[in-house]
Amino acid sequence: MYGGGNTFEGIQTESLQEDPVKLAAFEARIDRGEKIEPVDWMPQLYRKQLIRMIEQHAHSEIIGALPEGTWITRAPGFKRKLALMAKVQDEVGHAQLLYSAAETLGKSREAMIDDLISGKSKYSNIFNYPAYTWADACFISWLVDAGAIVNQLANAKGSYGPYCRALERICAEESFHLKYGHHCVIYLATGTAQQRQMFQEAINRWWTPMMHFFGPADRISTHTQVLMKWKVKMSTNDDTRNQFLDMYIPKIWELGFTIPDEKLKKNQETGRWDYTEPDWEEFKRVINGDGPCNKERLEVRRIAEERGRWVRTALQSPKAAYIMPLA
Amino acid sequence: MKSLDPRVNRLPVVGTAGNIIPKAALDQFGTFEVFVQPKEGKPFQHEGAVHAPDLEMAYVLAKETFTRRFTCTSLYVTDTRDVYISPTTEGSQNVYTLIEESATQNNTKSSFEIYHLLKRGKQHQHIGTVEASTPEEAMFIAKQQFSSDKMVYNVWAIRTNTIRFTTPEEKDLWNTLPEKKFRDASDYKGGDKLKSFLERQS
Repeated sequence: MYGGGNTFEGIQTESLQEDPVKLAAFEARIDRGEKIEPVDWMPQLYRKQLIRMIEQHAHSEIIGALPEGTWITRAPGFKRKLALMAKVQDEVGHAQLLYSAAETLGKSREAMIDDLISGKSKYSNIFNYPAYTWADACFISWLVDAGAIVNQLANAKGSYGPYCRALERICAEESFHLKYGHHCVIYLATGTAQQRQMFQEAINRWWTPMMHFFGPADRISTHTQVLMKWKVKMSTNDDTRNQFLDMYIPKIWELGFTIPDEKLKKNQETGRWDYTEPDWEEFKRVINGDGPCNKERLEVRRIAEERGRWVRTALQSPKAAYIMPLA
Repeated sequence: MKSLDPRVNRLPVVGTAGNIIPKAALDQFGTFEVFVQPKEGKPFQHEGAVHAPDLEMAYVLAKETFTRRFTCTSLYVTDTRDVYISPTTEGSQNVYTLIEESATQNNTKSSFEIYHLLKRGKQHQHIGTVEASTPEEAMFIAKQQFSSDKMVYNVWAIRTNTIRFTTPEEKDLWNTLPEKKFRDASDYKGGDKLKSFLERQS
């Protein structure tokens, strides 16, 4: 579950001089629609941005499992518990696949996990918000997952082979998540007045983070253009957000819920959605650590790390040594 | 901190929230390559890698990571260091044109599993088994036995006795999949409920 927002900032590129011949061959390969593999030459910027993106994606899977994971014991009924457990396991498994893909670019798994726990690496900002009620968990399962799937399907057509292969597997496993989430929401929507109110309140709480999820509007910089040319970034944040609104606003309205944004409507001339810009100051503040759950999320992750240490110690064997995976 | 997460409130806290103690220095396990057979009769293909302390744990972790859902009938793993790799070619150059007869040969032969990369962006696929004394010789024999008109861009050779295979008794590991309907998109039919709701509204 990864929104792709705020991924492509903050790397100085001016100092990265690349061999023009190798660069031309690299770009020609991408233009031909071929994938880039770990053994191939690649520009430093490409490598850095991919590590950053895949690593953030992996962290988002791990942290994204936390707000939903807390609802397993309180999910209504045995079947919902089973399904939610399977979904949370899936998300954690996806992190494993993504860490493997990122490792082929030269950053070790332990370094990534260290950077998550120390707060150096980011993850999808939306998981810094709390899931107060079952309806919040349903909102995440349906709509946050839907947003992530829009993004992941686009990224699966990117240029880096190991990432694309991981995403194909992830998208296949996620096919049930979205249906499950929608099913949960239909049950709330067609239930009692109180159930309907619960879900309406969840929408009201989550709408701003959901709009943040796809990231701020891209500045059209040469940087963004290069990343799009190299098929690292597959579409602009605004395009992804618009695609999500196109697919899911009608489904939310169909259930008789409202979106807390009076300006939200499809512009018939442009074919795109008009909406109130969400508060991007809040986005910046939360992603930089000052959100309702940032500390708790990292703390839970760290507790898991501490508690799991004995397992790793027990398994420790001098025979195995670390080397980079092959593909 | 008052948390919505029972794990945070209920359990003894190791550190202080927000004051994160750095964990122990790099203690990374080795990597093992995972090969999966998607269907009975299909060749095994490379899927990715897992970190594990030994071959047996690698097998267990590979099963969890790569064989969720209906995508597997069998699986095996091997230490990444036991995979011998040819150069990688591209375009119209077949990698077998680069593989020459090996000078070092002796009489103690063992069997090697051979894998081909047929298309860039795809996975390596198992193509067959050869008897050879060294990995270099195994690749040369593979050239004689398995090279055809098909372009091959990369060859892997793995000594068969370094692979942790799935035993016949373990095959039922994947038999539980069909029971787990709750992980199947087709099990979530809300259409009727939604339809009658919409009819009541209108």
